Amino acid sequence: MIYLDAAATTFQKPASVERAMTAALHTCASPGRGGHKYAMHAAEVLYGCRERAARLFNVRDVERVAVTFNATHGLNIAIRSLVRPGDRVVTSAFEHNSVVRPLHALGAEICVADCPVFDREAALSAFERLIDSETRCAVVNHVSNVFGFVLPLYEVAALCRERGVPLIVDASQSAGVLPVDAGALGADFIAMPGHKGLYGPQGTGLLIASDRARPLLYGGSGSNSKDPDMPPFLPDMLEAGTHNMPGVAGLDAGMAFVEKRGTEAILAHERSLVSLLREGLADIRGVRVFAAPDEAGQAGVLSFELDAMGSEEAGERLSQMGFAVRAGLHCSPLAHRTVGTLRRGTVRASVSAFNTREEIAAFVRAVEQISRGR
Amino acid sequence: MDSYYLTCRSLTYAQRVSRALTAARLRNIVVRTPQELSREGCGYAVRVPDTALSDALNTLAARSLPPRKVYRVTNTGFTEEVPF
Repeated sequence: MIYLDAAATTFQKPASVERAMTAALHTCASPGRGGHKYAMHAAEVLYGCRERAARLFNVRDVERVAVTFNATHGLNIAIRSLVRPGDRVVTSAFEHNSVVRPLHALGAEICVADCPVFDREAALSAFERLIDSETRCAVVNHVSNVFGFVLPLYEVAALCRERGVPLIVDASQSAGVLPVDAGALGADFIAMPGHKGLYGPQGTGLLIASDRARPLLYGGSGSNSKDPDMPPFLPDMLEAGTHNMPGVAGLDAGMAFVEKRGTEAILAHERSLVSLLREGLADIRGVRVFAAPDEAGQAGVLSFELDAMGSEEAGERLSQMGFAVRAGLHCSPLAHRTVGTLRRGTVRASVSAFNTREEIAAFVRAVEQISRGR
Repeated sequence: MDSYYLTCRSLTYAQRVSRALTAARLRNIVVRTPQELSREGCGYAVRVPDTALSDALNTLAARSLPPRKVYRVTNTGFTEEVPF
């Protein structure tokens, strides 16, 4: 099976991730829950993970790095910390349901900064028009999980700072690939999964949080135990319950891989593969490719549709031919509505550091085959 | 020999304190806060030998990492809070 679904999960992991997870199973008890060597070793592993994340994402204070179950968990914390029913929230036109659903559940007024896909200037203009003194916060998906569109995050962050509006960043598709600089962004929250571009296991994530954070889950934290309230400080406030230590150890090993290889090298590799894919698919009659006009506008994710069949059928055919891609709406109906693909969805191919040019060439041949009805 | 417990609001904070002291080449260890020193319930502290206390407090002040409280604990078990 050739795996081209890294936007969902990077399936191939560095060997160090599995080794770290196995070691944690044998050496890590519960951090913050004891003074014995297994608890203290777990505490060191956890702190090492926070330190590495702080270094990778330019976070000044390691206590602002909270461990979560995934990006959705982090985004729920962020949204619940800032937004109250009826609040006006400005989002990009490419948000995932991990943003749209929590806002909807809260009864927030969602104002979408609508723009054509791959038009960064239009995206920024839309945010400029919508963000005003009535805006409770803005939410920006750094990279669309459907189209790979790189939104003008840093420009929107500057706008938010200028207008005094808190910012939540969904870095699900960018962490480990594009520069995510917490210091430069000045966002209140940056949520990211561990299992995508950071090459950690599923069930892990990170939230870089500000003092505006409020607990989402309540329970034991290993600190201030006599107080019935959650501790009023980070990260304990956001980390009720026992940590997923094998996951944390694996995430740290994944981030070490990213650090060693370098996000610039990973991004260059992914962009070269997407470029190859775009050129290959564009030559096939009956295939419509969604691609940025310039390289900077797109990360390692590319969507396309076929005249000959719907996206789900195409995904199934490709699966039978040995290619793992994702078809349909990708939990992001807003992005599909924006682009006009809501009815049929798209087929999405997404790459990681482990994919090769040969795999892309084989995939293009397979798409050509099914588009010809063979 | 006396030792000093620098109590901290959280394990993560204690680890920050410990890293700062280690970087300044000051002996220290992260430990559970003894029950008699912990007003808030479970917690962690950084233990330093009496010879390192002054340098430790100066280092932490320079890095804006104040402990919650400082306690002196003698080898006979006597404890007292130390103003800093």
